[in-house]
Amino acid sequence: MAPISYRNAFVSIENDVYEPAEDSFLLADVAIDRISDGMKVLEMGVGSGFVSAVVAANKNVEPTGCDINPDALECAYKNGIQVFRSNLFGGLTKKAYFDVILFNPPYLPTSEEEKLEGWLNYAFDGGVEGRDIIATFFAEVSDYLKPGGSVLLFISSLTGRREVFDIMEREGFSAYVVAETRSFFEKLMVIECKHNC
Amino acid sequence: MKKEMMNILACPLCKGELVLNISSDEGEEVISGTLYCAACDEYYPIEKGIPNMLPPEMRD
Repeated sequence: MAPISYRNAFVSIENDVYEPAEDSFLLADVAIDRISDGMKVLEMGVGSGFVSAVVAANKNVEPTGCDINPDALECAYKNGIQVFRSNLFGGLTKKAYFDVILFNPPYLPTSEEEKLEGWLNYAFDGGVEGRDIIATFFAEVSDYLKPGGSVLLFISSLTGRREVFDIMEREGFSAYVVAETRSFFEKLMVIECKHNC
Repeated sequence: MKKEMMNILACPLCKGELVLNISSDEGEEVISGTLYCAACDEYYPIEKGIPNMLPPEMRD
């Protein structure tokens, strides 16, 4: 597959790795706007490394990425991103280290019959309602954010905007939609969340 | 992984500190080795520069 060039970044994509699409571009654009030089940045579900590579190409920041998919990790590593394999925050110390955590989660409502074979399923499958991974992520994320730190989360209207906001508020976050665009049959948005310390 | 990634990694079982054992490296980049949790007596492999922090029962 030809490398993707976007906002000074050049990213190679391997087979069995989520190919950057509108969601990735929107999250990368917001990330460049919101991230300042010198910040500590984590990308959860780093995939090919596309979003982190765009951040690194435009800011004096070296994002760290993690994923559960070994093919994605090899791809992101080749794209120059520091990565480790982890099930969500499993492999991270609870030292409140990060200024910004980026996450383009598996957000599609997925029934048993719709599951994909192999690791790529982890890129899409958000459980029956599309919010399983998002709920687990928000139950844990505050241990890893600095005071005043923020989450930039991508979701689709298919994930259920109000229900996702309910999850965030339940876990003590204030949430705002900071970018929104319309695709064929869904709205795509990036939500910024800060913990109410 | 860069050696400074040790600042952020923890044992996925107990969230405790890990000890880095290097088999091969290139400057600050660790290419292969292990991360050891003494409390759990568990090793986490580093291969091709990528630490595998999955708990043992989730590894391939």
